[in-house]
Amino acid sequence: MTEYDCDKAKSELEEFLHGELCREDAADIREHMAGCADCAGEHHVGVVLTEAVQRACRESAPEDLRSTVLARLRALQASH
Amino acid sequence: MITAPPPEDLLLAELDSALMSTSDDLAPEPDAAQLRALFEEQALPFMDQLYAAGMRMTRNPADASDLVQETYVKAFAAFRQFQQGTNLKAWLYRILTNTFINTYRKKQRDPYQGTIDELEDWQMGGAESATRTSRSNRSAEAEAIDHLPDSAVKDALQLVPEDFRMAVYFADVEGFSYQEIADIMKSPVGTVMSRLHRGRRLLRELLADHAREMGMTVPAPVTKKGAKR
Repeated sequence: MTEYDCDKAKSELEEFLHGELCREDAADIREHMAGCADCAGEHHVGVVLTEAVQRACRESAPEDLRSTVLARLRALQASH
Repeated sequence: MITAPPPEDLLLAELDSALMSTSDDLAPEPDAAQLRALFEEQALPFMDQLYAAGMRMTRNPADASDLVQETYVKAFAAFRQFQQGTNLKAWLYRILTNTFINTYRKKQRDPYQGTIDELEDWQMGGAESATRTSRSNRSAEAEAIDHLPDSAVKDALQLVPEDFRMAVYFADVEGFSYQEIADIMKSPVGTVMSRLHRGRRLLRELLADHAREMGMTVPAPVTKKGAKR
């Protein structure tokens, strides 16, 4: 067992959340969180925050944007 | 003799095989119509996503539409240089970001631009406290964030400085890797990580403030009662 404390976990949580940790480091932090409600809670806030941002940022392009873009591409092609 | 043009999917199949050949044979250059068909097929499906990113950048629908339009025009003009098989989505985002910086950022004149990365945390409102909350406060915080309306999250995002906001957007919404974000934003990976970290912390603080204003219980001081029901 290697030394693994909350400071280390907290410093790596964000990279863990974004899938940037290598497999070993991800396994270490997962193992730590399994026994540490504090770090697990911090991770949960991070997950919820990410999901909230994803929800809020969903957009559909306006209907006419697609046709405008298509028309411009066609005009461009014709001018080549 | 006039031959009817083949259906588009046939053209695409021919084009694909031409692009896939790795030999140095003189594979026929796709003609303009084939190239446009391929571009439309591959690039147009990203329109909603590019528009959403444009909305976060420009903060209004008209500018976001213009930005997306310009992005597609530029991307199409450069499409022969795009290497098939590499990440088209990241390539489009790079063009979107460049276009935004070159045209819209000049217009907006964000007074913080260029210096924001150097600001100390205390100058940004000491967001470090977010990680010092107790466990019960954390579950209350998670619950509050989860229940905030999208409009509140959008408003909070708009208050986050642009480079931080876009790092958060690229990572959390688009799922780009840190390296891809570094390429899109033309910044070192370390800078991306710092922007992401500070952006998320700031956002978290803003959302907690908002939740409190809405009367949700996101206790600032430590309380004994857990929020679990």
